[in-house]
Amino acid sequence: MISTKNVSKNFGSFQALKQVSFTINRGEIVGFIGQNGAGKTTLMRILTSYYRASSGTVLIDGDELSKNSLAIRRKIGYLPETAPLYMNMTVRDYLNFAAEIKDVPSKNRRRQLNSVLEQCQLESVAHKTIGTLSKGYKQRTGVAQAIIHDPAILILDEPTSGLDPIQNRQLRNLIKGLKNHRTVIVSTHILSEVEQIAQRVLIIKAGQLIVDQPLDALLNAHSSDQNPAPSLEQVFVHHHQEKAAVTDHD
Amino acid sequence: MTKLISIAKKELSSYFKSSMAYIVFGLMICIFNIFFFMIIDQNREASLRDIFLVMDFMLIFLAPILTMRLFSEEKLTGTMEFLMTSPISNTAIVLGKYVGVLILFSIMISITFLYYAIIEYFGSPDRLTIFTGYLGVWLEGALFLSIGMLTSSWTRNQIVAAMAALAIIFLLYFSSNLAAYFSESTATIVREIGTLKHLENLVSGSFSVGDITYYLSGIVVCLVLTRVCIEIRD
Repeated sequence: MISTKNVSKNFGSFQALKQVSFTINRGEIVGFIGQNGAGKTTLMRILTSYYRASSGTVLIDGDELSKNSLAIRRKIGYLPETAPLYMNMTVRDYLNFAAEIKDVPSKNRRRQLNSVLEQCQLESVAHKTIGTLSKGYKQRTGVAQAIIHDPAILILDEPTSGLDPIQNRQLRNLIKGLKNHRTVIVSTHILSEVEQIAQRVLIIKAGQLIVDQPLDALLNAHSSDQNPAPSLEQVFVHHHQEKAAVTDHD
Repeated sequence: MTKLISIAKKELSSYFKSSMAYIVFGLMICIFNIFFFMIIDQNREASLRDIFLVMDFMLIFLAPILTMRLFSEEKLTGTMEFLMTSPISNTAIVLGKYVGVLILFSIMISITFLYYAIIEYFGSPDRLTIFTGYLGVWLEGALFLSIGMLTSSWTRNQIVAAMAALAIIFLLYFSSNLAAYFSESTATIVREIGTLKHLENLVSGSFSVGDITYYLSGIVVCLVLTRVCIEIRD
């Protein structure tokens, strides 16, 4: 379970996150959406221990992240916005290195590595240098490093950004396949993806959490006689226009 | 410890995969060979004292070249985020990278053992002086590498990291020359901070705990500062 309580993050005088609180239960798939600069990446970086929250607490399975960071990191797989790849390594060497530093026991390492290569459909490029791969393969290699230690929580920051429609679909199917026994948090700008993958939606705007609802409930709440089946995109735009109107009025 | 070795192995292999190791090895060994020939030809004595001083001078440029990418490249490509969110301590990351570059440097220095073999074959060198000389050069290199790694943790720009390391190492190396411009009490401190006095003691066969402590404490300070610097990422 992931729980944040009044998490704020300041960069100098700029407040990137303002009192963000939510709870994500084990096995939930959560779509995390917001405009550019809204604070999605900052929050993901706090959940993965890359940043420390300026105030507030983050609990993972009841353990406080700031006090037990190393142990908690073993439970989390993370794909940052830019896939963190060593371009001069082969895919297999890179994943082996990731397995070593992520505490995959040496006796299971080969089996785990082969399993991840198969899951991410990387077997054909396993011996190729990462720098020579297409964007789609690079992104899948990034996902592979995130799941190499079979984490209970998977955090993916815009995993499909910059991919062509075919690569996009392949990666989306891969993410769908990963959700069976994991808590997955996916941040993306492609809202149709969230509709296909997520059970629950968090919308963040200017560092504040403005929506935290199950996807179905959120869509139902915005249905009307004129629009009985609104899309998530319409809901997202509605929330941002509504807030903008309130701000203009103020 | 296993993770530290993994990081060290990764660093070491990246030097060879990028061909940087071969270029630096080739250039350095060529320069050392030329000076070895010139020094032996002029001095006509079975000693490596002067070649140690040449090697020491070359380390001023070698250390920033070898270390500039250590953290700067990770920051630029985003792999720093991968390391810092993996279940590995910052201390293991710093030590792993340092051990990796130190092994590379040690391999390079060990190639010059051939010079000792040559003078041993043709003359009767003082083995203790040769040993303390190599120890001095190795410790000096280890100190310069730790400085280079520290500056690499400051920026994502490798050139800036190399220039900052070069400036600090230059100041340390030539500080004994600068001592004349300070008052007597300050000049003593400036001379002690400089590396040249300590290295000259060692290459002359004078083995003192003070000189060894100087190098080791300098290395520890730089490693601790590097660990502190990689914590800062806001």
